[in-house]
Amino acid sequence: MQVRLVAAAQLRLFLRSRLAVVALLLLAMLSAIAAVTGAGQATRIATDRQTAQAAAEAAFTAQPDRHPHRMVHYGTYALRPLGPLAAFDPGVDAFAGSLIYLEGHRQNASTLGAARESSGLIRFGLLTPAFVLRVLVPLLLVFIGFAMIVAERQAGLVTLQLSHGVDWGAYLAGKALALGAVAGLAALPALLALGWAAARNPGELGPAFAMALASLLWLLIWVLGITLISARARSPQSALLTLVLAWAVLVVLVPRAAAGLAALAHPLPTKAETDLAVLDELRRVGDSHNPDDPHFAVFKARLLQQYGVTRVEDLPFNYRGALSAEGERLTSQLFAEHAADLAGIQLAQQRMIGIASLLSPAIGFAQASMAGAATDLGSHLSFLEAAEAHRYRLIQSLNRLHSFEVRAQDDAARSRDPLAEQRSRISAHFWAEQKPFTFTGPSAADRVTAMLPGLGVLLLWAGLLGLLLMRQRAD
Amino acid sequence: MRALAREWRLLSAAARLALLVLGLLATIAVALGLTSVSATRADIARVVALEARETEAIIGYAAGAAGSFGYYRHHPVWRAPNDLAFLAPSRGDAVPEVQRIRLLALEAQINDNETANPELLLAGRFDFAFVLLYLAPLVLIALLHDLWSAEREAGRLGTLQSLPNADRRLWTPRATLRFGGVALALLLPLAAGAAIEGTALPRLLAAVGLVLASLGFWALLSLLVARADADSATQAAVLAGLWFAVALVIPAAAHLGINRAVPLPDAAAITRENREEVHAGWDRPKAETMQRFLAHYPEFADRAEVGNGFQWHWYFAFQHLGDLHVAADSAARDAGIARREALAQGLGWLLPPLKLTQGLQSLAGSDVTAELAFRARIRAFHRQLRDYHYPFLFDERPMTAADVAAAPTFETPPDL
Repeated sequence: MQVRLVAAAQLRLFLRSRLAVVALLLLAMLSAIAAVTGAGQATRIATDRQTAQAAAEAAFTAQPDRHPHRMVHYGTYALRPLGPLAAFDPGVDAFAGSLIYLEGHRQNASTLGAARESSGLIRFGLLTPAFVLRVLVPLLLVFIGFAMIVAERQAGLVTLQLSHGVDWGAYLAGKALALGAVAGLAALPALLALGWAAARNPGELGPAFAMALASLLWLLIWVLGITLISARARSPQSALLTLVLAWAVLVVLVPRAAAGLAALAHPLPTKAETDLAVLDELRRVGDSHNPDDPHFAVFKARLLQQYGVTRVEDLPFNYRGALSAEGERLTSQLFAEHAADLAGIQLAQQRMIGIASLLSPAIGFAQASMAGAATDLGSHLSFLEAAEAHRYRLIQSLNRLHSFEVRAQDDAARSRDPLAEQRSRISAHFWAEQKPFTFTGPSAADRVTAMLPGLGVLLLWAGLLGLLLMRQRAD
Repeated sequence: MRALAREWRLLSAAARLALLVLGLLATIAVALGLTSVSATRADIARVVALEARETEAIIGYAAGAAGSFGYYRHHPVWRAPNDLAFLAPSRGDAVPEVQRIRLLALEAQINDNETANPELLLAGRFDFAFVLLYLAPLVLIALLHDLWSAEREAGRLGTLQSLPNADRRLWTPRATLRFGGVALALLLPLAAGAAIEGTALPRLLAAVGLVLASLGFWALLSLLVARADADSATQAAVLAGLWFAVALVIPAAAHLGINRAVPLPDAAAITRENREEVHAGWDRPKAETMQRFLAHYPEFADRAEVGNGFQWHWYFAFQHLGDLHVAADSAARDAGIARREALAQGLGWLLPPLKLTQGLQSLAGSDVTAELAFRARIRAFHRQLRDYHYPFLFDERPMTAADVAAAPTFETPPDL
């Protein structure tokens, strides 16, 4: 009862404060802009990528009769799909390449991405609902709430209220409740955006719910922290400075510093160096350019022995196709090893940042929210893995067609004999039989599981601050 | 000088700590910057060396066929960090700092991203530019917002103001000391970094000028608000709110607006069309391909005959036609990105701290303009490579080891 009275009185004060009302209105506006543009942008990007993926599949299927190795070089594209919850938190999407060209012999870099096609302003942060909640709302709450207790104490109002029988605990709880109501109001547009995205995709309800929980816990941390500092500070000014400092350290400084240190502790080799390392290792394993290469000599001898023949021309299939497949197997093995190394380094960086979330729950909130929206590093890495798996499957399937559908004699003669060249082309219907690229991203259950560390950190901080607040005496 | 010493003694322990921490953070930022700049240089050097080894291997199996060199040989291109790059390094960006380019269609290569952890990019970089834009203003605001109101709230303002020459003897030294403390906290690490990097003096002075201008803006703003007749908490809130708007909200909102206002041609479609055009080359009548190529390279008209079999000059002709096919769209895309950056720079004129940060990034060579310039240089280099290889391909002239060594190499333009 007392709690509600204190809260109601504080809310009336908030409403009378021009600063608080203006700040809240401004924030609601920003939050609404972020929610609307976020939803629009996510839908547009998702549709664009679906269209591009469909265009890539259609182009592949529409190729005329051809030699299958030509199709190995023609290749196809994989685009990283964007899930519906990206409307709330697009996460790393702008900074991770969204398109990969899949072809034989090579593992290409991902290309494109908003970070490469925007002005330098993209480095200042993206105005998304998650950004509004993570960065803007806490500072707004600081501006609105920093003085709510310390100013009353300075004016002697706290002593007055306590002497009139208001319980100190109820007083603190009432103040926190009032600020919590403001926080809820400020978060409403962003949470509505989340709810809207989830409502249209019932499968996303679980992660969306966990993301809403993470958002509320994050704001709860600020409500408790502001109440605590306002109760402790000697003057409104020192409360404000402490809180702004805390915000700058937790939200701005630590996440960047953690990222900088993670990059320093676990350096990533450049794509150029990785590619060169693969080429070098490849020469050691089996050099397809060397006619006397021991690996390929053994490969050939084994095939001849297996089929009981003495010449590759007598094999029941086209040796060139088998050779291509073996070459692809070797290169892809190296690609996989290096990709695993690179993913390992990035995950180690991410873990290091995750540890820093104990220092700053802003990191925990960001990681949880991105994991829920399937826009985190893990989702991107699993896209890269799926794209590579698709590439390998497709190329080997084409190499099998090369082995079994193209006659060896035609294959050998095709550069001299136009008729043999004609015969070495196989029917276009084979292209349509290739499986299209599909990537659905991590399942809803996996995403919620991936959110648990972040949620844990948020809970820990909220619990700790709650405890400190309960132990805070009126002095 | 005595007045400054007195003001230093009067400075609260918290304020001294804030200056110390700021100096420490600026030092860490500079140290991280120096580390990443030297790591980038090492990356470039390693790739250039490994590429030379790779080229040796190609010489071994290419048997002098210029086409094989065109197909297999890659040429490293790079953006070498300049002498101020440590202030805002670009290591770990999506745009590679060192990349390998070959004679095939460039459109399929030029958009390649670096192997970067996108989560680190999202978090943003902890560099000197960050300390200057985000942290230093907050410390300045904390030190200057209550220059007068603190004394008023302590009941001393009237007495102090009644001193003769109070402005000259008291407020000016006090504000100067606080501003100077923040400036030193940034400029000392900056100078140390510049000494290590051997930064050219005019460029160092330009960077110092930007730092002082940026701090000056916040100091003036703080003093303006501090002069107003309000309590210290309100002054702090107003200033922090302004900082919040300038450093966070307006840039983020403007980014949305600019990207919406300047749409770009669809990059995925450009990539696809480039591939379609290149691969269509296999099926088109060879004579037609050569004719279209000769429209751009008439000097090879007498050597452009093609037979039935595979010929490298024909192959590289349709590779180039693939690039020409999307050249207009691709150029429009680069122009669109440049337009977006120009708008962002325009916004900078309204928000001095933004402009000064952009200026710093430009000095460091890590702004979007520098990225676009890098793309332009890659295109020019690719053209040089083609011009060098075409005579070998069209004359079916063997490429000796000396010819391989004489191929154009990517040159880094001098700084500035």
